[in-house]
Amino acid sequence: MTDALTISGLTKTYDDFVLDHVSFSVPNGSIVGLIGENGAGKSTTINAVLGLIQKDDGHVSILERGELDDAVKEQIGVVFDGSNYPEILSPGKLNRVMKRIYRSWDEPAYFQLLKQFSLPAGKQIRQFSKGMKMKLAISVALSHHSRLLILDEATSGLDPVVRDDILDMLLDFVQDEDHSILVSSHITSDLEKIADYIVLIHEGKIVFSRPKDELLEQYGILKCGAAQFDALDPADIIVYRKMDYEWQVLIADRQKMQKKYPDAMIVPAAIDEIMLLYVKGEKG
Amino acid sequence: MKGVLLKDLYIAKSNLLVTAISLLVLGFGLSFLLEPGALLVLAPVVSTTAVFISITSDAGSKWNKNVITMPLSRAQIIAEKYVFYLILAASGSAIVLPPCVLCTPSGAAVTASSLCLYGTLGMSATFFAGAISLPCAYLSDPEKSQIVFMLSFLASTGIITGLILLLNLIFPVKDQIPAAFGIVSVISAICLFLSYLIAVKLYRKRDIV
Repeated sequence: MTDALTISGLTKTYDDFVLDHVSFSVPNGSIVGLIGENGAGKSTTINAVLGLIQKDDGHVSILERGELDDAVKEQIGVVFDGSNYPEILSPGKLNRVMKRIYRSWDEPAYFQLLKQFSLPAGKQIRQFSKGMKMKLAISVALSHHSRLLILDEATSGLDPVVRDDILDMLLDFVQDEDHSILVSSHITSDLEKIADYIVLIHEGKIVFSRPKDELLEQYGILKCGAAQFDALDPADIIVYRKMDYEWQVLIADRQKMQKKYPDAMIVPAAIDEIMLLYVKGEKG
Repeated sequence: MKGVLLKDLYIAKSNLLVTAISLLVLGFGLSFLLEPGALLVLAPVVSTTAVFISITSDAGSKWNKNVITMPLSRAQIIAEKYVFYLILAASGSAIVLPPCVLCTPSGAAVTASSLCLYGTLGMSATFFAGAISLPCAYLSDPEKSQIVFMLSFLASTGIITGLILLLNLIFPVKDQIPAAFGIVSVISAICLFLSYLIAVKLYRKRDIV
């Protein structure tokens, strides 16, 4: 399987933050969820991939091209948090603008999406709700035959119904195995629904990049007291966190650990619990 | 570039009423003090404010970030703003030209040479102001660029005065007014082009977040 996006050793240094040799890939036909707390480096990574900021080091390959030229940009749909379109425009006027920017602009597909999302073509964007603006941004991103969608916190601040509509749309998009999505979010429940791979970034560094099913089916949280924690083999502990009355230990293989520690209580780990343990826990 | 230009024209259209009223009020006020042709000096200046409204609007709506992800180079994005600036400056002059010719309060005579002089002066001032303010609009935040925009017109007046004084050392400007202002307008156009090259060079390396 080839990759729609490959990031290797991506580095960007600010006075107070360093994106430190970030590497991961987005395989063709898959949805990759980039998770992390606010300020972890998700948007910096995406901005560097899209050429919005100058990288200090590293290499980005998009759609098998090492350079982000116009031909590649033509095939990338980007959705940021918010609409990012002049608010005095209407979706109808935006269509006239976009068909002069994108060579592959598909006007019938755009109006079909507007209809599907119940977006009025003649109303100014400033009169739209946040959910409508987001649906409009997704309609634009899907109307120029994009092969790769990049969404940066696109579902933040939206109600569950709108988020669900958008997630359905993203799932439809990847039905074509030539289509791929990189979606950053701190709403891990959304990514749990749609992502094939999860990439966790923390303090500018990639903590892990794994298939979501592997995380949900194999990872677990071992809950124990102090004595039981002391008896654990350090090699089995990925990270741990001391709570008020118990220790929570993130482990990589639930079944194997249950056999090794039959008295321990081991529960499946949700994505947000895994993220929380990595971010707030200590290494074993 | 056509798409981005169309977007800016939509923004300019939404501010058309404000621009037209500004020109009307200025023209009416000045008609009592100066000859109507003087409106040609102000028209391009007033009409190009829409460029700065569009730059501020781009930053406010984060279009400036979105457009980088579209199949356009940064040089094209900058070039579009300069083209937009030129279109508005030319349109401003073209719009006030008929009233300048037709509306001659108190029987003031309007000659072709005075219209050319005022037109050249207006365009030169606009080009110098654009040469200063357009790169600054891309290199500083929108609030600061608005201040630079206002100051740039004062600066352009100073530059033109300085150039005329300089030319007067070479030949008597009073005897050759068209030639002097012709040279000034050519220099202003060169400055605008150089500022475009500088803006592109600086914007290419700028982080947009």
